[in-house]
Amino acid sequence: MIYLLLIPLFFLIIIFIFFLFKKGKVLFRKFKTNSEKILQEDILKSVYNHQYQNSVCNIESLSEKLNKTNQQIQSSVDKLIDSKHIEPDNKEIRLTDSGKNYALKIIRFHRLYEKFLADKTNVNEKKWHQLAEEFEHNLTNEEAEKLAAQIGNPVFDPHGDPIPSPKGELPEVKGMRLSELNPGDISVVIHIEDEPDNIYQSIVNKGIYNGIQIRFLGTFNNEVSFYANEKLCSLSLEEANNINVGLLKLEKIHLGDFKKLSSLSVGQRGKIIGIAKSLRGQQRRRLMDLGIVPGTEIEVELESMSGDPLAYKIRGTTIALRKNQTEKIYIESL
Amino acid sequence: MSDNHNTDKIISTANKLRWEIGENLYDTLMETIYQNAQEIASKAITYSDKKPPFSLDRTLDKILTSKYFGLPIMLLMLALVFWITIEGANYPSSFLASVLVDYIHPVLKDLLTSLNSPKWLTGLLVDGAYLSTAWVISVMLPPMAIFFPLFTLLEDFGYLPRVAFNMDALYRKAGAHGKQALTMAMGFGCNAAGVISTRIIDSPRERLIAIITNNFSLCNGRWPAQILIATIFIGGLAPAYLAGIFSAAAVIFIAVLGIAMSLIVSWFLSKTLLKGETSSFSLELPPYRPPRILQTLYTSLIDRTIFVLWRAIVFAVPAGMIIWLVSNITIDNISVANHFIEKVNPVALLFGLNGVIFLAYIIAIPANEIVIPTILMLTVSQLGLTEFGAGSGVLFELESTADTAKILHSGGWTLLTGINLMLFSLLHNPCSTTIYTIYKETRSLKWTALSTFLPIVLGLSLTFLVTQIFNLLS
Amino acid sequence: MKTKENTNCANCPVHNVGHLKKLGINMDNFDFVVALAGNPNTGKSTVFNYFTGLRQHTGNWPGKTVTRAEGGFEYEGKKFKVVDLPGTYSLLSTSADEEVARDFILFGQPDVTVIIADSTRLERNLNLVLQILEITDRAVLCLNLIDEANRNGISINERILSKQLGIPVIPTTARSGQGINELLKIIYEIATGRYVCKPFKMKTHSSDLNKSINELVALLSEQFPDLPNKRWVALRLLEGDQSIINSIRSGELGNLKTAPSSGLVEIEK
Repeated sequence: MIYLLLIPLFFLIIIFIFFLFKKGKVLFRKFKTNSEKILQEDILKSVYNHQYQNSVCNIESLSEKLNKTNQQIQSSVDKLIDSKHIEPDNKEIRLTDSGKNYALKIIRFHRLYEKFLADKTNVNEKKWHQLAEEFEHNLTNEEAEKLAAQIGNPVFDPHGDPIPSPKGELPEVKGMRLSELNPGDISVVIHIEDEPDNIYQSIVNKGIYNGIQIRFLGTFNNEVSFYANEKLCSLSLEEANNINVGLLKLEKIHLGDFKKLSSLSVGQRGKIIGIAKSLRGQQRRRLMDLGIVPGTEIEVELESMSGDPLAYKIRGTTIALRKNQTEKIYIESL
Repeated sequence: MSDNHNTDKIISTANKLRWEIGENLYDTLMETIYQNAQEIASKAITYSDKKPPFSLDRTLDKILTSKYFGLPIMLLMLALVFWITIEGANYPSSFLASVLVDYIHPVLKDLLTSLNSPKWLTGLLVDGAYLSTAWVISVMLPPMAIFFPLFTLLEDFGYLPRVAFNMDALYRKAGAHGKQALTMAMGFGCNAAGVISTRIIDSPRERLIAIITNNFSLCNGRWPAQILIATIFIGGLAPAYLAGIFSAAAVIFIAVLGIAMSLIVSWFLSKTLLKGETSSFSLELPPYRPPRILQTLYTSLIDRTIFVLWRAIVFAVPAGMIIWLVSNITIDNISVANHFIEKVNPVALLFGLNGVIFLAYIIAIPANEIVIPTILMLTVSQLGLTEFGAGSGVLFELESTADTAKILHSGGWTLLTGINLMLFSLLHNPCSTTIYTIYKETRSLKWTALSTFLPIVLGLSLTFLVTQIFNLLS
Repeated sequence: MKTKENTNCANCPVHNVGHLKKLGINMDNFDFVVALAGNPNTGKSTVFNYFTGLRQHTGNWPGKTVTRAEGGFEYEGKKFKVVDLPGTYSLLSTSADEEVARDFILFGQPDVTVIIADSTRLERNLNLVLQILEITDRAVLCLNLIDEANRNGISINERILSKQLGIPVIPTTARSGQGINELLKIIYEIATGRYVCKPFKMKTHSSDLNKSINELVALLSEQFPDLPNKRWVALRLLEGDQSIINSIRSGELGNLKTAPSSGLVEIEK
């Protein structure tokens, strides 16, 4: 008897655990994976990237890139040839028009989803790519367009790469290689090639990221030297060739001293010169709506009981901000 | 279709231009707007040169958010609000009860009887639907009519944002928003109103957290039950001159436990279920403004009190009927209620509760206020006591605490039952009004279900744990 | 549930405001639509209550009005429908209440948009004012809480401000009803076309942005020659606003025309 009545309780606990692990949102949806479809789409993407970079694409390079055996790749490539998505060209593999559209569609899904994760969720930056790699294969066109509309039809992913339009348009790579700059030029990193991985990692480890501003010094002994955010950096020629730079329009150049807003204490004033890229999405917009834009004067007005948050006087209004926000707002002293 | 061609061209040109402009459009735009605004403002606005020697706002802020006075002032204000509410609600509550329950109820009953209405109909309508509604109104209305205007006055004055500012550090650590301190305080008045008040939190994640955990604020409807049970069972432990302090301490402990639970659950949710939701923080500290008392009384009465009361009544009517039905429909000469109580008793004992309590919490879902009357009625009808109450299915409450204690003791209640009832009263599903409000606010069955079942699971686990420990020790 | 008709008109100070007849929730056969926009916590709901005699909750706390509230009033024999938009800091974000406000001002084409600003924080409020002036030509700025601003040593020259913005500027203290009469009068004048606004349009210093806007405006002029706020539409396109893209595709945008500055046309229909 007792055990019979324990069932409802058990049921309740199950419901709770179900909620805990279900992660019901679309963004964490686990998929029934169709591995053949995924492999084909990965191949298309990979071929597209090879063509984009003008490098040779064949079975071997694909199997290395996708971490599969030659046989696996060959069988999928055969199927893709049957479906007229790719065509063999001597020893190389090339995309047909329909294959290129397909590849761009997958790239669009990938970048849209990364943008979604960046703007609309709290998912850690490191997980964006991996989640998008899964998600891109499981989206219908309608779902993708709904997603795009929901996040304001973005045209750039959070890494600064352009998102192909629904019709498969993509802007040409702008800018020039870092190594082609003239001494004294000021520019912004707009693209870091993520292949090969070891070079990408070594670039990233030197603190170079998309959007960082650099002042070019010159090339000495095959070493490319420049200031990045006022820090002296040097890269090998090979590394520098994997970085594209350009003067992004509307981008503000800040060279010179700046401090974080969090460094001010009660009564001190400053003038905002920028907001870090890592404050993004709704959070960034809300701060700007409240008047936290470059050029605004700001004064620390009040300290809360525990010292965080602080209240700031901004354009005649008192607004409380947390330290993890003010660390990402740059100011110059007044 | 040249039209389509043109519109497509507009859209694709826009797309192309967006690639060219880059990502910083919004930043640039906002900067432009504010530059323009600044230019215009500098021409039209003049600020008087000499700063006023004494700025009331600033001074108030310095005091209200100071390291030393901030917390005591806040606690004092809250204590004051609750004291006024509890003290002030006593008289109108008993007045309403005497009119609605003691006076009108028999009159209605006589009226229906004189109209030759069948006995079951009179019971269902008058003893069931009317009486539970009357009960909800007389117990719920006065405290809310006092609490909400007081709270609204503090809000209109501008004090509440300062509380949020002060408490934010604590709530930040729990992954929540400082404004949750306010929605929780509002929840002490009524959880449904507390859930509505989470609208002031504009970050989606923090708002959900505030909604789900609002039920851990011990609402007005649960205070009387806590006080009664604490007086009978906890106060009884202490020597007579300390009984009051003991029972008060027990009730405060439960309220603080509720606050602690809400912080723990907030932290837990923000680390698990709500990890991926976006979150942002902004909190404006508006200037202090003298509150307009009459207007506040009026609007808070309309906006919050009547609104919440109406919803409660809507649920109380059918619940009253069900209460009457389960205690009057009999199978094999035993009422459905007693059947249920018999069956559930063994399970309930595992949690240190009893079948009456379980049934009461199930059928008194419209309002926590009627839990104690329901328990009393069920206990009396279960035991077949004839000296108390007015028949099966008829809710009642007793003037004398001693008589109430007598009923409960004869119902087999022990100290353990008392403690566990207090815990379960804090940690059980929200009332139907609140559940409905949560659904209206979140528009999601999932979050509504979570907010409903999470406290039950917590409550049952805690009472189970307490019971086992208690049994081990004794 | 949030509002209730006020039966106690005679007690409130605005009762004597000339020619105003509060219609509460009665909005039948209105001649004009008035939208109330503004930052949160600027007294928007107070103004709304004065106009309509309704009792929307007001509070010293942002985020009170969450949904759109509607009511009506009659002034000089004309019936006005008032729409209280959600309080927002901006119209450019993606949040739901901003979308409601933005789309109503653009697609709902109110005859007059009353922008309620907090005089003590005018500079920040101008952010929203300038955005609204990009969308609509028929607006009036209500400088609410002017008494508080004066107390705090802030003096605002409404004539200069009005000249700068190109729209009428009315200082009010809505709590006591001061200035409401003037506000009503100017709403009436704008609605009936007796007052023609020449609103300020934003100047951007970024030549890249200007170039892009101009290119899109040129394309828009070809397709929708009557569209009154092409620059705003161009900006929204550059922001990827889905409702604008949809309205271009559906041709709805073509129906938005510069309303002739006379209410007569509206009345006839």
